[in-house]
This record gives sequence, structure tokens and C-alpha cells, in this order.
Amino acid sequence: MVLNTFRTFCAVFAAVIAFSGTPTFAQDIVLGASVQLTGPVANTGRYYKDAYEFAIDKINAAGGVKVGNTKRKLVLKLYDNQSDVNLSVRQYTQLVSQDKVNFLLGPFASNFALADSAVSEKYRVPMVQGGGASDQIFSRKFKYIFGTLAPASHYFASTVNMLKELSPAPKTVALLYADDAFDVSVAEGTRPLLQKAGLKIVIDERYSTNASDFNSLLSQIKSVNADVVLVAGHETEILNFVRQAKSLAVAPKMYSFTVGVPSEDFRKALGKDADYAFGMTAWLPSASLKDRWFGDAVQFATAYKTKYGYDPDYHAASGVADVEALAQAIENAGSVDPQKVRDAIAKLNFPSLYGTIAFADNGQIDLPQTVIQVQADKLVAIYGGEGFIEKPKYPMPAWNAR
Amino acid sequence: MTAFRVVLVVVLAVVLAVLPLFGSDVLIQFGINALLLAVLAQGWNIIGGYTGYPSFGNSVFYGLGSYGVAIAMVQWNLPFAVGMIFGVVLAVGFAFLLGIPVLRLKGHYFAIATLALAQVMSAIVSNISLAGQNIGLVLPPLNNDRLFYELSLGLLVLSTLTVFWLTRSRFGFGLIAIRENEEGAAVMGVNTTLYKVLAFALSGIFTALAGGIHAYWITFLDPESAFDISLNVKMIIMAVFGGPGTVFGPILGALVLSAVSEVLSSEATNVAGLFFGIVVVAAVVLMPRGVADVIRQFRVSGWRYFIENLKAHRI
Amino acid sequence: MDLLAQVLINGVLLGGLYAVMALGLALVWGVLNIVNLAHGAFIMLGAYLAWHLYTYFGIDPFLGLPLTAIVMFCLGYAVQRGLLNLIVRAPMFNTLLITFGLEVVLTYLAQLAFSADFRTINPPYAGNSIALGPLVVPLARLMAFGVAVVLTVGMWLFLLHTKLGRAIRATAQNLVAARLYGVEPRHLYAMTFGIGIGLAGAAGCLYGTVSQINPYIGATLTAKCFAISIIGGLDNPLGVLVGGLVLGIIESLTVLYIGATFGDVASFGVLVLVLIVRPSGLLGKTA
Repeated sequence: MVLNTFRTFCAVFAAVIAFSGTPTFAQDIVLGASVQLTGPVANTGRYYKDAYEFAIDKINAAGGVKVGNTKRKLVLKLYDNQSDVNLSVRQYTQLVSQDKVNFLLGPFASNFALADSAVSEKYRVPMVQGGGASDQIFSRKFKYIFGTLAPASHYFASTVNMLKELSPAPKTVALLYADDAFDVSVAEGTRPLLQKAGLKIVIDERYSTNASDFNSLLSQIKSVNADVVLVAGHETEILNFVRQAKSLAVAPKMYSFTVGVPSEDFRKALGKDADYAFGMTAWLPSASLKDRWFGDAVQFATAYKTKYGYDPDYHAASGVADVEALAQAIENAGSVDPQKVRDAIAKLNFPSLYGTIAFADNGQIDLPQTVIQVQADKLVAIYGGEGFIEKPKYPMPAWNAR
Repeated sequence: MTAFRVVLVVVLAVVLAVLPLFGSDVLIQFGINALLLAVLAQGWNIIGGYTGYPSFGNSVFYGLGSYGVAIAMVQWNLPFAVGMIFGVVLAVGFAFLLGIPVLRLKGHYFAIATLALAQVMSAIVSNISLAGQNIGLVLPPLNNDRLFYELSLGLLVLSTLTVFWLTRSRFGFGLIAIRENEEGAAVMGVNTTLYKVLAFALSGIFTALAGGIHAYWITFLDPESAFDISLNVKMIIMAVFGGPGTVFGPILGALVLSAVSEVLSSEATNVAGLFFGIVVVAAVVLMPRGVADVIRQFRVSGWRYFIENLKAHRI
Repeated sequence: MDLLAQVLINGVLLGGLYAVMALGLALVWGVLNIVNLAHGAFIMLGAYLAWHLYTYFGIDPFLGLPLTAIVMFCLGYAVQRGLLNLIVRAPMFNTLLITFGLEVVLTYLAQLAFSADFRTINPPYAGNSIALGPLVVPLARLMAFGVAVVLTVGMWLFLLHTKLGRAIRATAQNLVAARLYGVEPRHLYAMTFGIGIGLAGAAGCLYGTVSQINPYIGATLTAKCFAISIIGGLDNPLGVLVGGLVLGIIESLTVLYIGATFGDVASFGVLVLVLIVRPSGLLGKTA
């Protein structure tokens, strides 16, 4: 019996070894990534797959990346981490040590980026990620992780600035945030901003990620009559929040959410109830954002929509920016040596459809957020670095008065 | 165990031990993962396979072991070994404190109670700031996969020797007696409460150690991944698939299923999870007593083995 | 004071929704001794079915509830007859494993069929509410509560007073004797499981109207349903209503007085307590 066991064991081991190799061409530059294509966060994770592929195809169509005197094509090696952080860490390790990719592209979500950046640091392969904004990712003095999402702590900065200029002036704020890396960072950054703006925080409540019932919190918000509600959370939670706000007839003067509002999916799921909701985005498809490969952001957005059937939001643009950053850095360095390219990434400063790509010393980009609002099914940019762009629909009327 | 079998097992162990010297990085990674899962399956085997109490709470021990190491290393700057001991202390404490009331329950009530405990622990830890709340902790990185591999292998050898000792010791016989007929065992003078709690604690020690190694290896943990119920289910499936209540069954189950899962994850990522589910369903229907049993009986009954299983268990 | 009253109302209505969700699980568990870890996945499927009926055929989720329930009943019957009947006499533990595998498969199939997008069932009255002085009663949840009471009482009457109900209980208690009386156990087991899944489908309809649907909601829902079933007790469908109410109220009050991250601690903590102190549940008979 033990002999049979031994035989089975050997057979299995042999199979594993046989399966563990993938050929790639020596000339191509391979970019590896482990992204959430299935599992609870897949509805945003898949934007990154689409974005990476889109950008790589475009760059290759333009001839590829110039390394010294030769032009080389980019190839994407993508794994599905099934929204499991542990699996994504193992997959990144596999990408580096087995598949021998040249550089890494990031996953979606801060908690993933936090864990996966340990791999890029361990193996000293640069990773450019566009899915994690938490300040924690960049506070460990790692040298090989770069991020194209603006810092979480600044997410509500332009919103708070806007609040100061609204009339009738709001006085009280309810701050709700999920208990994960990104949202806690957002809350930590927002509190001092609110205090400096002279707004009183009447509710400051951390809630469990994936909470589906907000009735108690909403009832509390109603009973203290908060003027402004800021929620840092995930799309599914915010969806529930808005629906339950309606069913409990809770209508503060304004509410703003860190995610959801920019994505078409979210607005469709809520239908008319999405109206009046504020959000923010570091990116809007504007013709003033010129790009070497795509022309400008508007052309990019149209081409993207034609290919994939949905409007790209800042996640997609961020993903494209990651690929462009790597491509540009490789060209600037004139080599694919990880150390040289890493240094080149740190020194990058070039315009793209996502905005100016330049990383601070800690590896994170800093772009200002534009406040947006859903107005009659359309997404309107309301307030930016220079003040009001459009008139906001404020204050929000009671639910039965819409 | 005949001398031949002993030699075979030793040879296998030595082969595994020297594998890192000529295996690729990915193979070593896979090895660490598979070995740790085998330890978990063996740990579960003690309480589930031998004592007959299907525990869904081993993920608590795992989580406590992980957090023990993480808190000791990150918050108090203690070395890894101290962290491991801390994790074990937490696990044993939990086994005694909560094991006593929970082990009074039978069958699926015990399973549900342990499942609930896992959820409660996850929820409690996500509120403790020492543990980093829901964000978790990031451990100092150590780039030495070979060390982790050997540690995991060592732990597996230790746990297997323990299970082997169980099959020959009075304590082990007591556990089997509890599994087969608890009231009878009590009548015969077995201190069932003590034995059950000891088995629970023993199971917890190995699980916690595995959790500690894993946490340091991955350099990251949060409540969701540390107290993951699906990890507990994996442990159980591997133990049951391999053959619960046997010495080598869980190891076999863990290695085979890890290999299958790893191959699927890297080659056919879209349907990896789907296949895993189908494999589980098929395995439970066709070979409910595990692969070890299949290997044993196949020579006797051939393909009829599966049909006999079906006939025996359906209505 | 108003806040407390409002939160209590929230808790009660939440409890009603919880009760509908757990009813099918408790029935199958209490009567057939099958612990269905895939119960939440079936609720999810029911929700998707209701969503399709609403989006493509304009059938209101409450009116379409019987239709959803019947389709899910057929699915449940098939699953029991084709799959679960094969392991009924195996160690109880095997049902846990097989339903776990089933949950994984169903979630994956749902994700393949429906993508990871989230959907909502948004009939025009979904956000309405009834005002009782300073208190607000959300209409959709109130209707769900009504459905919960109807279904629970209906189940109770069905099991006690109808021929099929009694046959189901007989088969569960003594398979051999039931056979001697001419009961066909395979059919009966399948009928019972079908009813359980039909109830899950009904719960899905309601859930999709008050919350949002995506392929991954199954696992959390199953966990909640477990807590509710145990707290209430498996002997009696009315216990599920009690269990749901207890859980809903405890959760709502915990968020109000302790903090919004302690909801799970409270609900599973209560579950552990009930299991340790009174495993047969609040309404169960102590054996």
C-alpha cells in the first residue's frame, strides 16, 4: 500500500514539474500581473486587464518599445488571483521566479498592492501599480513599488475645498469609512482637512468591509441632521448605502463617495437614485491631456469604448498609465535591466492621457482629484484645482421631492 | 510497519529535504505551500480523523499562530521563534478555554460551533489595534525560501510522528474509542473531556505553528486571510480525501490536491475554482473514505469500488 | 428616544428578511438532517432569476415571487434527486463537504453566466417608506417582513397539518417505517429539498429588492442563515422567525451602541452562546 502511495506521489510530482514551464521569446519584453478577474472584487479588477491589454496593443502597433537601437514588442502575462491576496502573492512570485518576466504591473486594491509589493521588493523587480492608493503602501521605504493612484489621504481634499464655497454653507459632517487599508487612509487624511475648514465632524464611524446593512448608521445620521455625509468604502457598500438612504428617507444636503460614482456600472445599477451623488476622480477624458500613443484622452476613451463596450473610468486610465510609464522608462534607460529601469521610473516626468506621470520620492504619483457629480444620469465635473467648473446641484432635495 | 516501509518513508523524507538544492524557485514555493497544507491536514486529522470531532475551528488556531508571530515580530520586535511560541500559547489557551464548552456538542453542532468561533475571532481581531485591526500587519521580509521549506518539512515530520505515536499509544486508543462510541468509552474509564481537549490542543499546536510559518513567509496577514474558513474546509477536504484516521492519508490528500489546484491555477485560471468544486463533489460521492482507501481496496474490487460506495450511501 | 425606536424598527424588519433567508436552510436541516452550505448560493440564484424576470419581462419581484419559488423548487428537486440522494446515508460530514463543493461550483457558474457586475431589482416603489410620526418604515422591507410571516406560518401549518408535510416528517424520523407505509423516500427527500430551495428562491427575490446581487453573496448569507437557524431552533419553522428577529435586533443595536465593526462579533457571539448554553435553540425542545 505504501508502494502504491509512493508511486502516486511520484506521478503527481512529475506532473507538476512538467507543467511548470512557459516559453517566451527572448526579444519580447514581458510584463507580468496578477489581477482579480474572478471573485468579489472582479467587477473593478477586470478593468485592469482590459487596460493593460489595450495599452500594450497600442504601443506594439506603434512599433513597440525602443531599447537602444532595437524595437521590442511588449507581451502581457496575466494571472487571475480570484480576489485572494495570498494567491496573488504566490502568483507574483511565480511571475518573477518561474516565468522570468521583465517587469510587473499591479493588481487592483490597496490591500493587494500592499502584500504584492513585498514580492517586487524581495526580488528587486520594479512594479508599477495603478490600483492601490493607500499611503501605507508607500510608507515602508520600498524602492521597487510605484503607484499611479493619488494618495488616499488626499481623496477628499478638493471636495472639502468645495464645501467651503457652497451656499448655504454646510456645518456638520458625518464621516463613514470601511475598515480596510485604503478607506482608513482616506479617513485619516480627511479629518484634519475638515477640522481646518471649520466643519464639525458629528459622526466618525468605521464600519466592516462588505457590510450590507447601513440602516442603523443612516438612522444616526438622520437624528443628528448631518449636513454632509462622506463615505469611503467599496462599490457594493455604497450601492447599499444609497438605496437604504432612500428607503429611510435620509437626505443630507450633500453626500460624496470615494468610489462608484465615476463608473458607468454603478450609475446604471442605481438608475435615477444615483442623481445628486458626489464623487471624485483624478481623471476625466479631456482633450487637453495629450498622449504619445493615443493622441489625447478623448480619443483614448472613444477607442476604448468601441473595443470594450463601456466607458473607461480612472481605473482603466490608471492601468494604461502604468504600461506607458514602464514603456517610457525602458526607453529612457535604454535597457531592460531592472535596476536601471527602476531608476528611470523614479525620474519620469512626461505627459500622458492620464495626466503628468511623475512619481514622488516615496513612489506615489500626486494628482489632484476633481469633484464630480451625477446630474440627470450624466457625470459632470464640478470643482477642480482652480475652483468651480460647473454649478453643483446643491442642496440635495428630500427623496420624495425629486 | 515493516522495515521496508520504514526505509521507504525515510528515503522519501530525505528526498523532500534535499529538494530545494536542485529545484526551481517555483517548485520550492509550491513545496512550502503543499507541506504547510499537509501539516494542517495532519493537525485536523488528530481532532477530526482520530477523535471524530469535525472541527471547523482549526482556522482559529491558524490565525492565532499567524497573529502570534506577527504581533511579536512587528509590535514587540521579538525574534521569530519567540513569536511561534507566543502563537502556540495563544492556541493552547484557546483550545482549553473554548474547547471545554464547545466539545460537549456532538456531530454537526460541534462543526457549526467551531465555524461560528472562527467568525467571531475574525471579527474580534479586526477590532484590535495591536493586531492592526482589519488592515492587518506587514512583517519584516526574509528572502530565504529554503529555510521556510525545511521548517515546513520539519513540522510535517513532527506532526506525522505525533499521529504515528497516536496509533500506538493509550491516548490515541482513547481517542479512537471516543470516535467509535463515546458513551462506551466513558463507561470504560476514558476521561473523555480531558482526552478531547488534549486532542483539540494538540491539533491546535501544529496548526498554529503552520500559521506562524506561513505568516512570516508571506510577510502579510489580515483577519480575513488568517481566519479563513475556506482554508479550514481545504484542510478537511485534504484530510478526508486522503483518508482520515490514517497516518499518511492527509499528507497524500494534501499533496495531490495542492498539485491539482496549483496546476489549474497556473494553466487554466478561469476555471480553476470551478474544477476544484467539481473535484470535491466527485470525491465525496465516489470515494468518501479517501484516496488511501481507494488505493487499498482497488486491488481487491477494482472499478466496482466506486459503484459499491455509491450503493452503500444513497437512499 | 426616537433614534432607539427607529433602530428597533430597522432591527425587526431586518429580522423578517433574515427569517425568510434562513427558512429553507432550517427546514432542510431540521427535517432531512442535511446541512446545506450552498444555501446562500441558491438565494443568489433566486435573486438573479427574479432580476431577469423583472428586467426582461417586467414582472414585479413580489408578484413574481411564486414563479421564482417554483423554478427554484424544480432546481432543488433535481439537485437532491440527482446528487444529494447519493450521499444521504454517508457520514453526515460528507454533506457538509459536498454542499461546500456545490457552493463553489454554483458561484463560479453564476460568475461565468452573469459576470461580476452587481445588479439591483429596482421597482419604482422600492425606495418608498411609510412615515409613522418621526419614524420611517421602509416599504420594501415591510413587505418582505409580511412575506416572512406568511411563509413561516405557512410552513408550520404545512408540516403539521397536510399529508405531504406529515409524510416528510415521518420519513425524516424513521426511514424504514416510512417505507413500510408506502412512502417513496427518494421522491420525498427531493420534494423537501425542493421546498427548501424554493424558499431560498423566494428569499432571493426579496434580497435583490432591498440589497444588491452579485455572484459572491452566497457565502456570507449562508453563514447568517446558520446563525439564525441555530438561534431559533431547528424543530419548528416559527423558531426561524424568532431567530431572525433576535439576530436583526441584536445587530442593529450593536451598531448603534457599540460600533459598526462589531456586528459580526455580536451575531456570531450570540450563536456560540446559544450553542453552548442551549443547542436546541430558543424555540427548540431540549432533548
